[in-house]
Amino acid sequence: MRNVIEAKNLKLAYPRHEPVIRNATFRVETNQFVFITGASGSGKSTLLRSMYGGMEISGGDLNVGGIDMRSISSSKLYKLRRHIGIVFQDYKLIKEWTVEKNVMLPLIIAGFPKDVCRAQAVKLLNHVKLSHKSDKFPMELSGGEQQRVAMARALAHNPFLILADEPTGNLDDYSSQVVWELLERANEELETTVVVVTHHIPEMINADYRHLMIENGVIYDIR
Amino acid sequence: MTFVRNHLGLILPLFAILFAIEYMLVFDRVLKNYETRLQEQYTVIVVADKKVDVSRIEKANPLVKSVEPVDSESVLRRIRKQISKENIEKIKAIVPAFYTLKLLHYPDKKSLEKLRRDLLDIKGVKRVQIFEKVHDRLYAMLLFMKSNFYIFGAMLGLIGFLLVMKQMVIWQLEHKERMQIMALFGAPVWLRSGVLFRLAFVDALIAVALVATGMLYVMSDTRVKEVLDEMGIDGSLLLRFDDLAYLAAAGFGIALFCATWVVVRFREEL
Repeated sequence: MRNVIEAKNLKLAYPRHEPVIRNATFRVETNQFVFITGASGSGKSTLLRSMYGGMEISGGDLNVGGIDMRSISSSKLYKLRRHIGIVFQDYKLIKEWTVEKNVMLPLIIAGFPKDVCRAQAVKLLNHVKLSHKSDKFPMELSGGEQQRVAMARALAHNPFLILADEPTGNLDDYSSQVVWELLERANEELETTVVVVTHHIPEMINADYRHLMIENGVIYDIR
Repeated sequence: MTFVRNHLGLILPLFAILFAIEYMLVFDRVLKNYETRLQEQYTVIVVADKKVDVSRIEKANPLVKSVEPVDSESVLRRIRKQISKENIEKIKAIVPAFYTLKLLHYPDKKSLEKLRRDLLDIKGVKRVQIFEKVHDRLYAMLLFMKSNFYIFGAMLGLIGFLLVMKQMVIWQLEHKERMQIMALFGAPVWLRSGVLFRLAFVDALIAVALVATGMLYVMSDTRVKEVLDEMGIDGSLLLRFDDLAYLAAAGFGIALFCATWVVVRFREEL
């Protein structure tokens, strides 16, 4: 199996602060579903940020999709991000765009024709059961609905990797279930590698998934 | 409502700046036009008791554009019938030489006095006669208005500039979130700043059109026409095609500078 993420002695630190992550060495292979857990402030979101180039690497090596994140240029980084789907706890939807246009975003960036973008957005909004709200703006939706839109957006361009930061942190049970189902389906049907940062692993989820835990800046490979 | 507010934020200060520029252009043009007319209506005659070298008169003062001797034959021709040939020859011997001068630009009183002194310093020159239409009061008023409009225009431009600066900060805050999210999904700079440049372009276009329309309205207003006619000013001087080019250059330049400033200052905070 090909390595999608490979960290070797990885060190992450904010300027003038103690390292958040120390000497982390781990690998994530294609089609794996990985949970990263840890207490608040343990550095799990920081680790996730480093995977999409939102955080500078202080030491060691990190490869994502075969690209060295230490020496990556901004143009290469933007190219890499076009193949990654990212989901945040606070959704990060563009509030002046409609739901449909938000879902279309990764496809617009990839340069697909408008009708292709629209068709894909309609299909995904059907999957997340929000096709009736395609013309609404994010502020007109509940938190759960917004996160489902963010999920549809993360899947729109068939990414090889989905990075999700506390995707169900603010959601009700129904929306949480929809989000987990979508992530599992993407992993099983589209063979997308999924990395999820969360406080606790939900009970409904497959118990065989990989689990990395962060404690005091050290990463433990639990499963 | 948000759409209108977004656009007005730049259109209004741009309008103020362009309006100030247009008024400065108009006043400059009106005054130059008036000066040209005054200059054409100005006549300076130099009277000398004997022929003087034309180049000496030309070099006497930098204000002199050209010198032309007045042919004395044309004067004598009129009186030839009543006077005998002998007397004509006597008159010819004592008739002074006349020269008409053209000036480079409309002079003020001080430089005119200096011109008179310089011309009288030339050997043989006996008199310098200046014939002028009295426009001094209107000219002085126009000069006064021009300087006032320059101050007014500069103030308007400054206020416009400050408002543009404020709008740039607002844009930075308004567009930051969208640009951050787009960057997160790998959007290149041109794509994530496209909205901003479109907004700047449209706002500049509207501001230029508003100023041009305003000037056209002023030009076509009968009351304005009457005032201009009374002052002897050509109404077509108010808006020229060149002005549109200046206004467009200034409007688009400022608007695109704003958009570029926001794009350049963008920092990813993810």
